[in-house]
Amino acid sequence: MANQNSNIIQLEDGWNNVLKKGAIDVLERTLDDGFGTSFEPKEYIRIYTACYDMCTQRSPYNWSRDLYIRHGETIETYLRNTVLPALQDKTGQGGTILLNEVKHRWSNHQIMNKWLKKFFTYLDRYYVKHHSLPTLEQAGLQLFKTEIYQNCKENTTSAIISLIDEERDGEIIDKTLVKCIVELYESMGMGSLEAYTSDLETPLLEATRAYYGRKREEWIAKDSTPDYLIKAEKALGEEKVRVAEYLNPASEPRIRAVVEDEILQKVQMNLLEKEGSGCSVLLANDKTEDLRRMFQIFSRLENGLVPMALIVEKFITSQGEACIEKRQARLESGEKEKNDDPEFVKSLIDLHEKYLGVIRETFNSHHLFQKALKNSFEEIVNAEVGQFTNAELMSTFCDRILKSGGEKLSETEVEQSLDKIVQLFSFLTDKDLFAEIYRNQLAKRLLNQRSASDDAEKAMIAKLKVQCGTQFTSKMEGMLNDLAIGAEQKNEFDQRMEAQDTKLSFGVQVLTIGNWPSYPAPEVAIPPQMSKCMELFEVWHDAKHTKRRLKWVHSLGTANVRAIYGKKSYDLQVTTLQAVVLDVFNDGKTYLFTELKEKLNLEDVTLKPIMHSLSCGKQKILTKSPAGNKINSTDTFCANAKFSCNMRKIRIPVATVESSHNKLRVEEDRSVAIEAAIVRIMKARKTLAHQQLVAEVLSQLAFFKPQPRIIKKRIEDLIDREYLERSSENSQQYNVEQALECVEDGRVQYVSTAMSNNLTALPINHAGIILNDVTSLYLPMFGHEPRSYIASPDVHAPLDGNTSSMAKLHQSIKDFAHWISSFVASRNSPTFNSPNSTIPCRNRRNSTTGYPQLANILLTMRYLPSLTTSLTSEYGPE
Amino acid sequence: MEVESGNVNLVSKEGESFTVETEVARMSELVRAMLDDDCDDDGVTEIPLPNVKAAVLRKVIEFCQHHRTEPMTEIEKPLKSAQMAEVVQKWYADFVAVEQVLLFELILAANYMDIKPLLDLTCATVASMIKGKTPEEIRKTFNIANDFSPEEEQQVREENKWCEEP
Repeated sequence: MANQNSNIIQLEDGWNNVLKKGAIDVLERTLDDGFGTSFEPKEYIRIYTACYDMCTQRSPYNWSRDLYIRHGETIETYLRNTVLPALQDKTGQGGTILLNEVKHRWSNHQIMNKWLKKFFTYLDRYYVKHHSLPTLEQAGLQLFKTEIYQNCKENTTSAIISLIDEERDGEIIDKTLVKCIVELYESMGMGSLEAYTSDLETPLLEATRAYYGRKREEWIAKDSTPDYLIKAEKALGEEKVRVAEYLNPASEPRIRAVVEDEILQKVQMNLLEKEGSGCSVLLANDKTEDLRRMFQIFSRLENGLVPMALIVEKFITSQGEACIEKRQARLESGEKEKNDDPEFVKSLIDLHEKYLGVIRETFNSHHLFQKALKNSFEEIVNAEVGQFTNAELMSTFCDRILKSGGEKLSETEVEQSLDKIVQLFSFLTDKDLFAEIYRNQLAKRLLNQRSASDDAEKAMIAKLKVQCGTQFTSKMEGMLNDLAIGAEQKNEFDQRMEAQDTKLSFGVQVLTIGNWPSYPAPEVAIPPQMSKCMELFEVWHDAKHTKRRLKWVHSLGTANVRAIYGKKSYDLQVTTLQAVVLDVFNDGKTYLFTELKEKLNLEDVTLKPIMHSLSCGKQKILTKSPAGNKINSTDTFCANAKFSCNMRKIRIPVATVESSHNKLRVEEDRSVAIEAAIVRIMKARKTLAHQQLVAEVLSQLAFFKPQPRIIKKRIEDLIDREYLERSSENSQQYNVEQALECVEDGRVQYVSTAMSNNLTALPINHAGIILNDVTSLYLPMFGHEPRSYIASPDVHAPLDGNTSSMAKLHQSIKDFAHWISSFVASRNSPTFNSPNSTIPCRNRRNSTTGYPQLANILLTMRYLPSLTTSLTSEYGPE
Repeated sequence: MEVESGNVNLVSKEGESFTVETEVARMSELVRAMLDDDCDDDGVTEIPLPNVKAAVLRKVIEFCQHHRTEPMTEIEKPLKSAQMAEVVQKWYADFVAVEQVLLFELILAANYMDIKPLLDLTCATVASMIKGKTPEEIRKTFNIANDFSPEEEQQVREENKWCEEP
């Protein structure tokens, strides 16, 4: 029936007459000629139309399926019969020849595939779609893959690899050729990189590993570390360029990883520690360039900088140790050990300065290196040599800078020096010790008016504040504040003094207790004309500040005493106590030491140095008998009538055996801080194992690091005082006891809160004073009287530093807290008026009953500061 | 004015030549595929279209030219109306308001020359002729003889019951 229709094209007719003869044969011929392939529109339309007609005829004359199959067969046959033999021919003739042939055949195939697709394109539009077949193009590619690629890929891959190795060795290769073949690999994945990765990249990575493995052995054997790193840097750069030039970008990280592993990771420690050119040698010789390269290269590796930072840390530590050894050597060679060693402190500052710079400039301020610097300085700065701690040396260094007549420095230099010393200070573990010493020295500078610049003092305190927070510097600021207020009030009191003729000029500096170091305040018998001045001041002061109590600290006072010897007179610059002693001798009598002691109501320890200064010093105002350089209780004294001196103004110094700080006090403050931390933590955690508690305490303490055994002692102490109890299930655990049990009367909550928030702020045991100008001086201690803290007479009982004092303090605080709770309750606070109903049960962490308790704590904290504020404004200096 | 100067000659089955701007002719993927390949030809390219009659080719060219000035909107599927004026711009609706024979020849030409918008338009037109009609009406429209036996017809109806449900 079909044959009856002359318009119907038979398969073989159409195929042989048009498609084979007019299209395929022509195409293959032009490919083999290599003169380019193109078809005239007329030709092309003929072929297309033939194909179109053959595919649109009705069944059974629809040849779509046959054409699709023959399309494949055409390609397959051509590849098999023409391309493959050609390639096999070239195999073994050398990599480049083979690659060139592959390149040629591959581009031919692309042309062929393109044209066949165009000829048979009608198949793509319907037949392929309806039967979900590979498109003509995909089918063509797939055929190339199975017929050619699978057969030649191994040879091609090794040809590429050997070209790349040649290029690595510095030879020039045909990059375009390689790039072309790489594109073949990419196409063979049929849309994925799978073929490229497994057929080319994987072998290439192995070859790369082998290549750089050889290089590594070669280089490490003969090159110094810097030379090696230069080569490594170059190789890494070249590999990167190589990928960009002719490989797939996906290979970049993989090749880099292999190269880094081979030439860096595997010899990292060899390089860093290489004798004569390793990292510490470079550091010692300030090889900035090499160090920077080393840093950059090792920063490529994961954790690659860790060992390097460790070496830097060790190196800086060893430099620091060298400074320490120098100091030790000086001490051993007989230099007197003092709390003042500017050379040593300066050497540490310089060392820090230097490596801070190196880390910034060379190591990009990388955190690992900053940490290294910190670690090494923490080690250096906390290594103690000799009897003076570094805290003391550093504080004294500040003292030199800040006191008048010390170092002659410009304002900017002072500022810079202070900056540097504060940096050094930041590494100090015993920051509290430094603060204590610093405060003592600051007090001395301020009270003796030896401070060179108020601004510099303030600047230094501001720097410490930035480092350690307000709490750390509040007392120091308080000290400066006292002086500022003192200066304001001086005029007012001076006018009053003028109105009263006391025949003495007299000035007082009021110091707030707690801010200042504690000073001995002997209750010396004051001569009437002096005590009159004091009374005047007390009256004036009490009228102004009704709630303060003054306590005179004569040990800090100074006096100018006019001594008249016939026609000659001298102005003696003495301490108040010296003046009081001298006053006794106005009657011209001779006194036995014991008589003086009794008359003046002074202790041996106080009186002896005074007598020594007046009778055994350079200027012998008093005559001692028997003569001698030591004061005995049996000695007698009288005024030295024959005294004479070239100078009119004479300073008579008293030898002091004072230490720069009160060690006991530092320890005591630490105990308080530790206990506060323990209670704070336990209140939050309820139950905690010993080790965890110790760890948390350590993490909370910013200004010092106590030994665990000291913490343990505090814990035991708290258990004894029933703040904590051992967990009944596990003796290594603690429970907060009272905070829970006592919630019902609201007491212990306050105790704990008071401890944690305010303990350090409470004035504890220090009274200080001073005086100024000509006679005596003192210092009021404020807030000491019972009414100031209402129902709690003992709250501020001074502590004398003996062992029972802590217990007393805690009792005081309990009472204080109790008072506050009743105070708050009496104000009908909505939070506290019915505690019984809000806190029903004990320690169930996840139950809702935990909330009211927590809320109470929070509210309590909010209340307390406001209370203290009001106390301060009521009783504090205005 | 033309973006790309140059014309091509489209030659119909009968040998009649139509000079068309290249840009217009390129709406046909068949033409495009040819031009893409040898664009370096200076002279006017002659493109024989042995499967398209002159009368049809003229319509095709008219379509392509108009499409340049007012591209056809995409026709929504399924058709929302049996009125072509409601699914496509007026010009196109008018364009396909032709005799069935010509319409079918346009479909064939669009398919042969691979002009998708034209193929869409013409096929949609045929679909609109079917839309909403009973089998009997459809047979009438397209002049199709009913060669089902009553049993066969019943069976087909059973099998396709779903499409008659409201």
